[in-house]
Amino acid sequence: MTDTSVHTNGNATSSDWIDRFYHVDQILDRPGPRTDPSFLAGDEVKDFLRNKCKILVIGAGGLGCEILANLALTGFKDIHVIDMDTIDISNLNRQFLFRPADVGKPKAIVASEFIMNRVAGVKVTPYYGRIQDKDDDYYMQFNLVICGLDSVEARRWINATLVNLVDPENPESLKPLIDGGTEGFKGQARVILPTVSSCYECSLDMLNKPTAFPICTIANTPRLPEHCIEWASVLEWPRVHGDKKLDTDDPEHIGWLYTIAAARAKEFKIEGVTWSLTQGVVKNVIPAIASTNAIVAASCCNEAFKIATSSAAYLNNYFMLIGTEGVYSYTFEHEKREHCPVCGGESLEISVNREWTVERLIEMLTETQNIQIKKPSLSTPAKPIYFQSPPQLEEATRPNLEKKVSELVPDGGEVTVTASTLPFSLSLLITYT
Amino acid sequence: MTIPSQGSLEAQDIEVATTALQSQPDNKTRRYDRQLRLWAATGQSALESSRVLVISGSATSTSILKNLVLPGIGHFTILDHESVSPADAGNNFFLEGLRSIGKPRADEAVRLLSELNDGVEGKADKRTLESILESEPEWLTSFTLVIAHNIHPLLLGKLSSLLWNDSTYPPLMVVRSAGFLAEFFIQFHEHTIIESHSETAPSLRIDKPFPALREHALSLDFATMDPTEHGHIPYVVILVRVLEDWKKAHDGNPPKTYDEKKEFKKGILALKLKPDEENFDEAEAQAYRCFTETKVPSEISALFEDPVISPESLSQNPSPFFHLLSALKEFTIQSESHTLPLTSTLPDMKSDTKSYIHLQRLYKLRAEEEKQAFKSYVRAPVDDALVDSFVKNAHALQVLRGEQWGAFDADKKALGSPIEVSFGTATALLVTPKGLLIHLSLSALSSLNTREPGVLLTVEALRAEVQAIIGEGVVLPDELEEVIGELVRAPTAELPNTAAFLGGMVAQEAIKMITKQYIPVKGYCVVDLIETWTGVVNA
Ligand SMILES: [Zn+2]
Repeated sequence: MTDTSVHTNGNATSSDWIDRFYHVDQILDRPGPRTDPSFLAGDEVKDFLRNKCKILVIGAGGLGCEILANLALTGFKDIHVIDMDTIDISNLNRQFLFRPADVGKPKAIVASEFIMNRVAGVKVTPYYGRIQDKDDDYYMQFNLVICGLDSVEARRWINATLVNLVDPENPESLKPLIDGGTEGFKGQARVILPTVSSCYECSLDMLNKPTAFPICTIANTPRLPEHCIEWASVLEWPRVHGDKKLDTDDPEHIGWLYTIAAARAKEFKIEGVTWSLTQGVVKNVIPAIASTNAIVAASCCNEAFKIATSSAAYLNNYFMLIGTEGVYSYTFEHEKREHCPVCGGESLEISVNREWTVERLIEMLTETQNIQIKKPSLSTPAKPIYFQSPPQLEEATRPNLEKKVSELVPDGGEVTVTASTLPFSLSLLITYT
Repeated sequence: MTIPSQGSLEAQDIEVATTALQSQPDNKTRRYDRQLRLWAATGQSALESSRVLVISGSATSTSILKNLVLPGIGHFTILDHESVSPADAGNNFFLEGLRSIGKPRADEAVRLLSELNDGVEGKADKRTLESILESEPEWLTSFTLVIAHNIHPLLLGKLSSLLWNDSTYPPLMVVRSAGFLAEFFIQFHEHTIIESHSETAPSLRIDKPFPALREHALSLDFATMDPTEHGHIPYVVILVRVLEDWKKAHDGNPPKTYDEKKEFKKGILALKLKPDEENFDEAEAQAYRCFTETKVPSEISALFEDPVISPESLSQNPSPFFHLLSALKEFTIQSESHTLPLTSTLPDMKSDTKSYIHLQRLYKLRAEEEKQAFKSYVRAPVDDALVDSFVKNAHALQVLRGEQWGAFDADKKALGSPIEVSFGTATALLVTPKGLLIHLSLSALSSLNTREPGVLLTVEALRAEVQAIIGEGVVLPDELEEVIGELVRAPTAELPNTAAFLGGMVAQEAIKMITKQYIPVKGYCVVDLIETWTGVVNA
């Protein structure tokens, strides 16, 4: 029987036992051939990791569960986690901190409790809510942020928030952001040093374009089962249910859409409408498995560990994995985008047709791959062009939608674009063709 | 835009329409929904009937198992005779810290892993691998897959030889790790894949239209047809027609030169009645489909040369895959177009419902006919669902052949060669130097650790061992120092992140092996978690 008596010294807390960190300490006790000279091997780095470092995990889902477990085992002891979701039965094939009895409960809370029960001496502080609820002071308290989200919007928000947080006078204000994402057998992990290296916004054009079906196809010329499902959700739901909001997590709502879509498919002799496809289309379901999440989360936590301890060089700055055909991965440095609205600081020059209306410009801003701003509000330095809200301002500026941009903005003039979902503004320099 | 009113459904219509509909999926389907979208019911049922043996209850082993238990394999056994040490309790999530110390590691890990999924049976086996190899080797061959992490090289040698003995024995996944460095290898004789989930779509055979398609394309009078209809002719039909017309004017030849291709595309656009007819733009963009002849893809015709489908060999081979492959070869020889059987999957295209559904129907009917023709060449009893799947995926079939664990290390010519003779030979040292160094260093570490247990590991000893494996006279690159330096730093460290990373990687490949879907990695997959990259050596 092994000696398990509690060992105390300057670094150990009462929950640590001799050899608890036998494995990790082999890395922390001495440098490797590629370790930066600034690495302070031994007690100092262990003390920082185990007693001082505070880390934030955004998302307690597929990646989040894995991230929390890995961080706890590597020795992070002050972990915070934010997630606004509750547990669904379809999470259980990969989100391994949850059990069937947890369905319906908040992910952040269940995950935190599980980790604290399993790994001694780790404090996990959950917040069940939105990242947007928290202010700069909140984010300022962390040394590192790891993001395991499936929402582009939320990632853009946290990225911009952390870039805005950087104060050149205060090195502590630079919070490394480690971001992971997966889809089926594919995934990526990246390290973002806000303002220093390429940020999330810099790489927007790498995102897959979401499949969008033209409304006239849906209404008039359906060919695929997906078209029938879109018809049910986009046109029939509001027509029949009025203002009642479609809840894509409600099986009754999905069932209704499925029924309507199947009937339409039958009418047009289209095959292939199923419950699963209906749910997939209306919820935009992305395939997700435990193994890919494990790889990407481990990679994110490994970068967090290396950054927090300086025990080895960290990823510079993008790791991409494709596991469908063998194991293919690609590690590269993603370059900063020159006119990145978040970290670039300069205006984006765009040329538009002199005949374009404001409405057409808005459509372009929504669709362009490296802009993708849903519901943008536009203004010149002198006056508003179009505002989505508040209602009075929207009403007052609505007539401008049909005006030509060239009537409102001079050649070479500046337009500021904002959106309520994004904590930054995009500055456009308009030239006409 | 107006929405046709006949599309809206009133209550009684809905009732009629729903009589034959499925209701909400059951709990199991809902639980597995996100993975069923990748490997469907066939993959899931393969997982559920699999039995996986994992040797050692290390942090890496339990990480691998976690990612197999969650998606629902049928059974797992952990073979481990050790008790939980304080170090284990600190790095393994499937142990309960202080509470687990001193208890059998296999028991603790099986108990905690089993909590992840009620549908999976888990078993702890506390015998030693050595004793089983000695007394009951057939037990080891009774699994679907065997995974071994950081086991003694002598035992690993015996285990791999045993499982290599017969091609029906389970594949073996060998996993080795130390600190930030790791590798894994799958030992298998042969692995055939029907559902490879290739991103390449099968040919639409526009250049070799089947009779009904050709007739349909020729029957349309583009010049006089209704303008709305004209704007909705599917590009497939446009291309078939334009190509037929072109061939008539060019001695039966398709466009060949750059200028001809340009002219061909111009001809497509010239058919537009209105500038906004997007179907003709689409046809122009897809015109390349007319320029190269649809043939059996070279990867597939290479499979036709496989000695396994020779008549003598087939009579002894019980695998339905090769009987189907042989039938496929026969089909491509006999069929008029000398192509693979047509598939009915039609991509979406600019069109109206009527024209598209009509075209889809033509493809479906023809695909069914060709499938029947294909079936007439199948000379062994094969399940219909398998035939369907085989025909549907015929353009992306895969046959992988592997090698025995350790064969690579013994093949000095494959590893590297002294600089003066290296010209022209693609040794691993030339092709994948960084990856090879990790592989060799892990081999060296494994043999040193066991040959001289307890002796302090040195850079010099590791370097000498690597040199011995690759052969004297082979000049090793300077990067070797980085690799062995890192191993000397942490020779026995099983880092939680490395374990979790491997847990994902190995489980992913295990799932591909078990489901026979997607394409597993061949060769040694190496991992460097300092610069964060993976590579494959001796692919
Ligand atoms: Zn940026």
